[in-house]
Amino acid sequence: MGVPRSPIGTPIRTRPATWSARGRVALRVLAGAYLLGVWLDGSGSGIPASILPRAANYFVQVSALFPWAATASIDYRAEGFICSEGAWMELDTRPYFPIDTEDKENRFNRVMHFFRENRPTMTALDSYLVNQHNSAMREDGIPSDRAIGGVRLLSLRIPIPAPGDRLQRMSRQPLSSYPEEQRKAFYHTPRSRLAERCGRHVEGTD
Amino acid sequence: MHRPVHRFLAWLDEPTPVLRIEIVRICAPLAILGFMSGRIAHADEWIGDTGFHVPDLGGDWRQPLFIPALPEWAAWAVAATMVLSGLACCLGVRTRASALVFAATLVFVALSDRLETYTVTKLSPAVMLAVAFSPAGARLGLEAYLKRKKSGKRPKKSRTCGSVRFLQLLVAVMYSASGIAKVRGDWLKVPLVLWSHVHDSYQTPIAFALASVLPAWTWTLLQGMVLTFELFAPLWLGLSGTRTWALCFGLSMHTMIGLMFGPVRWLALLMMTLLAAGYLPERAIGWLDVLAERLEPARAQGPR
Repeated sequence: MGVPRSPIGTPIRTRPATWSARGRVALRVLAGAYLLGVWLDGSGSGIPASILPRAANYFVQVSALFPWAATASIDYRAEGFICSEGAWMELDTRPYFPIDTEDKENRFNRVMHFFRENRPTMTALDSYLVNQHNSAMREDGIPSDRAIGGVRLLSLRIPIPAPGDRLQRMSRQPLSSYPEEQRKAFYHTPRSRLAERCGRHVEGTD
Repeated sequence: MHRPVHRFLAWLDEPTPVLRIEIVRICAPLAILGFMSGRIAHADEWIGDTGFHVPDLGGDWRQPLFIPALPEWAAWAVAATMVLSGLACCLGVRTRASALVFAATLVFVALSDRLETYTVTKLSPAVMLAVAFSPAGARLGLEAYLKRKKSGKRPKKSRTCGSVRFLQLLVAVMYSASGIAKVRGDWLKVPLVLWSHVHDSYQTPIAFALASVLPAWTWTLLQGMVLTFELFAPLWLGLSGTRTWALCFGLSMHTMIGLMFGPVRWLALLMMTLLAAGYLPERAIGWLDVLAERLEPARAQGPR
């Protein structure tokens, strides 16, 4: 069966064919808009961000990969405040963020990367870590019989070696092995909250 | 209408080998599922309410849409749907429907969890939608195999396929935009940008070995080569004289990225899939076609 034709021989468009043609045009327009969005976003234009809804704009942000040189190798760590001793001790967050535990795609690293200066998120993270440790479900470097009242969240900025330097394989070392100048604290549980959780007055925690 | 526009529209409608989109249909879901596998194994922590979730920040730029964490059972259901639809698409079972469902799960997880969203997560819905709106599944698919075994008809080798054109353009657009972003960033100012990225937790034994033996100038040379390739990719991939060289360079570049930056290997595989599907020379597609014909049953000679 061929395409229906008019008396003068031109093809007659049936309704499904018309819809199909319209659908094709719509798809082409959408595809073109998407490609333009990807290109403009990667090229540094603010146009996609200014005209697209945020959720749609999010999907065109795919091309600006590694545009900047790294100034340091960055890792994120946490310490817990042990109520009974009034001291800070490294808290291994990996048991509570089990996806990609050994690299920077770990969720703890990601939350610190994106939200370290966002107070509501840091407060939520504080509560999550304290609850997780105090429920004594997993090994995290602080004995499970020692309750914690809060956390200190920090980044490690490890200098990048120069070419020709003697290199060491990247590996996770205890927080205590990094000099003070490589650590930068972004958040610590407020003293009032520590006191509330530990059930006693706490001094000198900052 | 202007001549270039005419030529562009004619190029869009020009029949292309169906095998190109079949390469994407088979390999892209595998690369995407490979990337997702670590997350899927902890679906309750990832999109469920067992793990930590960023609270509703009410319009913060880092949170494009707030989606509350799912109950544990629902998180596992989404993960299972993602795996099943991805595998179904790869196998060519209900290809269009499975590609659409797979794309929908990818959109959901990308919006649901900013923390686990990377280029693969954001790029893959567009790739899978391209598969859905194409004749993918007509060749080298399980359903097509069974149907053909019954009818004995041979599938069409070439068809008009806007999705192949879309993916060809997507690759060129991505590289070009990435190159411009690099020029606007540090790549023309800092000679050791590449070197600076091989020392963090992405580092593989190969990256460490290369960092230990290669002299500084080689990192700058590689940086220049990558930038030149990306910035002018539409030209390299558009001109017939440079296309195959560009394909080889792109495949080599992504192979090295995959070998040197551990978790980035899935993005490398996805990009290699798109590059190969879009830009393999006709001769190579011809070889694949011979292989495909051996796998496709033919009782009687049918339309081609």
